[in-house]
Amino acid sequence: MASQSISAAYRMTVAKKVLMALSGLFLVLFVIIHMVGNLSFLLGGPDAFNKYSHTLISLGPLLYFVEAVLVLAFVVHAWNGISISLDNSRARPVKYRMLKSAGKPSKKTISSTTMIYTGLILLVFVIIHVKTFKYGPYYSTMVNGVEMRDLYRLVVEVFKQPLYTFGYLFTMLLLGYHLRHGFWSAFQSLGTNHPKYSGAIYTIGIAIAVIVAFGFLAVPLAVYFT
Amino acid sequence: MDKRLNLNLNVWRQKNASDKGRFESYQLKDVSPHMSFLEMLDVLNEQIIKDGGDPVEFDNDCREGICGMCSLVIDGIPHGPQQRTASCQLHMRHYKDGDTITIEPFRAKGFPVIKDLAVDRGAFDRIVAAGGYVSVNTGNAPDGNAIPIAKEMADKAMDSSECIGCGACVAACPNASAALFVGAKISQYTYLPQGAPERTRRAERMIAQMDAEGFGNCSNHGECEAVCPKGISIVNIARMRREFVKTIFS
Amino acid sequence: MSKNGILDSKIPDGPIEQKWDRHKNNIKVVSPANKRKFKILVVGTGLAGASASASLAELGYQVQTFCIQDSPRRAHSIAAQGGINAAKNYQNDNDSVFRLFYDTVKGGDFRAREANVYRLAQLSTNIIDQCVAQGVPFARDYGGLLANRSFGGVLVSRTFYARGQTGQQLLLGAYGAMMRQVDLGGVELFARREMLDLVVIDGKARGIVVRNLITGEIETYSGDAVLLCTGGYGNIYYLSTNAKNSNATAAWRCYKKGAFFANPNFTQIHPTCIPVSGDYQSKLTLMSESLRNDGRVWVPKKAGDNRHPNDIPEADRDYYLERRYPSYGNLVPRDVASRNAKYVCDEGRGVGETKLAVYLDFADAIKRLGEDTIRDRYGNLFEMYERITGENPYKAPMRIYPAVHYTMGGLWVDYNLMSTIPGLFVLGEANFSDHGANRLGASALMQGLADGYFVIPYTIGEYLAGEKLPKVSTADEPFSKSVKQINDNIQRLLNIKGKKTVTEFHRELGLIMWDKVGMSRNADGLREALKLIPELRKEFWENVQIPGDAKNLNKNLEFAGRVADFLELGELMALDALERNESCGGHFREDFQTPEGEALRDDENYCYTAIWEDQGTGKKPLMHKEPLTFEYVKLTQRSYK
Repeated sequence: MASQSISAAYRMTVAKKVLMALSGLFLVLFVIIHMVGNLSFLLGGPDAFNKYSHTLISLGPLLYFVEAVLVLAFVVHAWNGISISLDNSRARPVKYRMLKSAGKPSKKTISSTTMIYTGLILLVFVIIHVKTFKYGPYYSTMVNGVEMRDLYRLVVEVFKQPLYTFGYLFTMLLLGYHLRHGFWSAFQSLGTNHPKYSGAIYTIGIAIAVIVAFGFLAVPLAVYFT
Repeated sequence: MDKRLNLNLNVWRQKNASDKGRFESYQLKDVSPHMSFLEMLDVLNEQIIKDGGDPVEFDNDCREGICGMCSLVIDGIPHGPQQRTASCQLHMRHYKDGDTITIEPFRAKGFPVIKDLAVDRGAFDRIVAAGGYVSVNTGNAPDGNAIPIAKEMADKAMDSSECIGCGACVAACPNASAALFVGAKISQYTYLPQGAPERTRRAERMIAQMDAEGFGNCSNHGECEAVCPKGISIVNIARMRREFVKTIFS
Repeated sequence: MSKNGILDSKIPDGPIEQKWDRHKNNIKVVSPANKRKFKILVVGTGLAGASASASLAELGYQVQTFCIQDSPRRAHSIAAQGGINAAKNYQNDNDSVFRLFYDTVKGGDFRAREANVYRLAQLSTNIIDQCVAQGVPFARDYGGLLANRSFGGVLVSRTFYARGQTGQQLLLGAYGAMMRQVDLGGVELFARREMLDLVVIDGKARGIVVRNLITGEIETYSGDAVLLCTGGYGNIYYLSTNAKNSNATAAWRCYKKGAFFANPNFTQIHPTCIPVSGDYQSKLTLMSESLRNDGRVWVPKKAGDNRHPNDIPEADRDYYLERRYPSYGNLVPRDVASRNAKYVCDEGRGVGETKLAVYLDFADAIKRLGEDTIRDRYGNLFEMYERITGENPYKAPMRIYPAVHYTMGGLWVDYNLMSTIPGLFVLGEANFSDHGANRLGASALMQGLADGYFVIPYTIGEYLAGEKLPKVSTADEPFSKSVKQINDNIQRLLNIKGKKTVTEFHRELGLIMWDKVGMSRNADGLREALKLIPELRKEFWENVQIPGDAKNLNKNLEFAGRVADFLELGELMALDALERNESCGGHFREDFQTPEGEALRDDENYCYTAIWEDQGTGKKPLMHKEPLTFEYVKLTQRSYK
């Protein structure tokens, strides 16, 4: 049987969803690790946090590789998301006067219908976020006789600003919303819906959304209110 | 003994495919709660004809929920508020006196409006033509019991095959995606040995045709399952994607 | 038989079990190179039309297929619930081709052709194999083999089924096979087209004229043969279990062009339908007759007993089927059950608001088997009943009433399925051939598919290879003449601008048909119908009001044409019923019954097929007879006492 080339397959809607799911799940993994790393800010104090970030930076080429993959996943996810969204708006040129949900078993939620908007805001956020921290002011500190970047100080400075902090809080809630639909949806897009497991995946998705959102909220709230 | 209903109807009127269309309001008095929704529209049409107007065109045929021809969006929900029920089997006892009901056609690029509430669903036929069958000529079939098929598999195939092809899934989908229709047809044959030999080719071609018809991309909202008169599950969409992934590696 | 031999049924010689094989050996075959030169026009895409289109295209013929709905998959075969019979004997219960043949001839009350029915029984087994190969998900047992159920009161389990949607699954199989040919270029599909005329050139069917229901354009198509697969005419009664678009127009226009109509009055009334609830009612919904396996039919003993059914004590109930037919009880055949429901309602003992219903009570069965068992068996039917009526049949008895369901009559065809117009073949419910005066449950699907998959692919070769068919073009005069006639007719309808809507006329006709040419007929009523129908027809042509124009989708205009034809067909049905001075199957004449009130057949004088030849509207058609001989099944009186 003639199989299609990957480039031909890519033009198909289903392929976009598969890529969306793969890149999305990779990003979920990253976000969870990121969040756990952030917790060292609260639990370990300045030195622990700075050492953690220093360790990451010292990975060198390995870090660049991971960063490259991350950027790729991010770009694929954003690009596909925008492309799918444009496809979809073309698919219904005349809108309904009224379109309501028919209720369960529908999984349509505010989360599912706003993926493109929460996604676009997250896109902007990530750019600002990387600029603020990765490419932000370089403070230096010594931990156990090693000179390293004082990222802790930068974090404290940033989260003392109300606008940034509340913008961050807001965005993290949106991230929660994004994951609430995104997580289980990724599994569905990869074709893993099965009557036995889909319920569990759906619940895990909600749990991850809540944990990630509140996990990320911990640091800025702690800084702002102390 | 039965309370009769007076209703306000907002109905989409569109002369033909190129007309822009608009809503028109009608008042309908003395509607029996035992009427079906389409019978209520019949009564409206008789009233319009008597008044010298143009009746509302809407597709319908069997009026028992199996042919899939009726295609109304009633107050924002394809086939109306009662689940697992096609428009033709919805009855007026679900409405109250004085209710306002908005009636629109199925809306999607793949389903252009023909007139008023009637749309063209030829896209579904073209998708089926692209592989929604087993390629077997008449006359060379082995005995029906030659290949045993597990009851569970036959039942699952039947679950998928119950699709009546009405297109409510497309109409309800925020993205006007046809994934449930296509997924159901592809799934039916993945459960049966007869469908196996051409499963890759089938998935590849049907999905390509679905895209060519201009349907949107499934974002897993699951509205389709909720409005499907047969309650066909989005598990079928997952299965279609699984088949698709296989096409890349085959 | 008839002068100039046009009513030669072409039944092959030889013992009945060899007739079909011998015939196949003797008929001509078109060479593969020539097949692609022949164009075949198929009208209708139900089981017969879809299966014929697919099979003929597979053989290499050019096929053009037309359907009235937006998609071929919506043809009314899709609504068949119960199942399809086949003499597979998978259950080891001594079923056989002969037994299926025997049951069908007897069930048809000895008014069908033995040879045709035998062929149908033979082909039944191939149908199942074919459908399984197509991926039709028939019900199966845990061992993975096909399941069967017993149906329609026969003694063996030979009915194959796919839940309560057998017709849907079989049609989707045939539709798939046809769409495959659309993809391969063998079939060209034309949806939303209504056939309005048959074009006959040099005495042969050479084309059709259709109306494009979207644009209103009248289109012409030429070909070498025309296959009419347009179903039955039950909608003449206005209320029936048929789909709204089911109609007689294609068949009727062929009749007007010289195809003969056989047994038009043979109509099947199905006993278990949901009753009419008001005058707005547009159609009736059938519930599988399997309900009668556990439900008990009754009405109050006294007329005018308006108590709630649950408040009526046993002593005041009349289980009339059990009383009158102690051995078969609630399981008597369709025609008997329907007729008796009518009688008790005529006596004023009907129930419900309209008094045109009887109770079908599951209280005893629920007590005996438990609600869960009943839900397992009939859950989907109970749900459907509740959806439509808003009443819970687990708590109070269902109300049921008979409704028109199927028409056994249809265009006359010979053993090759060819009508009296050479080149016009008629398949499925549209022909008259296999069910006699009463169709058995689960036989309609069998006939549609047998005709389309396994009969026509052979028999059409005999015609195409044997005839000289010079090229015709749609530019030829007969086509343009027909187009003009159709356009004139449409204009004439639109110009009437009367006061009564098409639906009102249709409803009125339906009432006449139901009262006088319905479940139970008598000579006086039929004579009255023969007076009332032409009067109504006259009024129709003077006073019908059709909105809109002919240039786009206009359902009222479509229906007007169909009702106009029904207004002629109704007269023929009444005439046929009046001429047949006996009771048989679905045709029950009150003036011909036994002292116990049962159907009285007259084999001496009426053992024939009545075949009608049109002589022009308003003129009495000419009746021909095809005598029926029974060599293999002995003529007996049916008894269900």
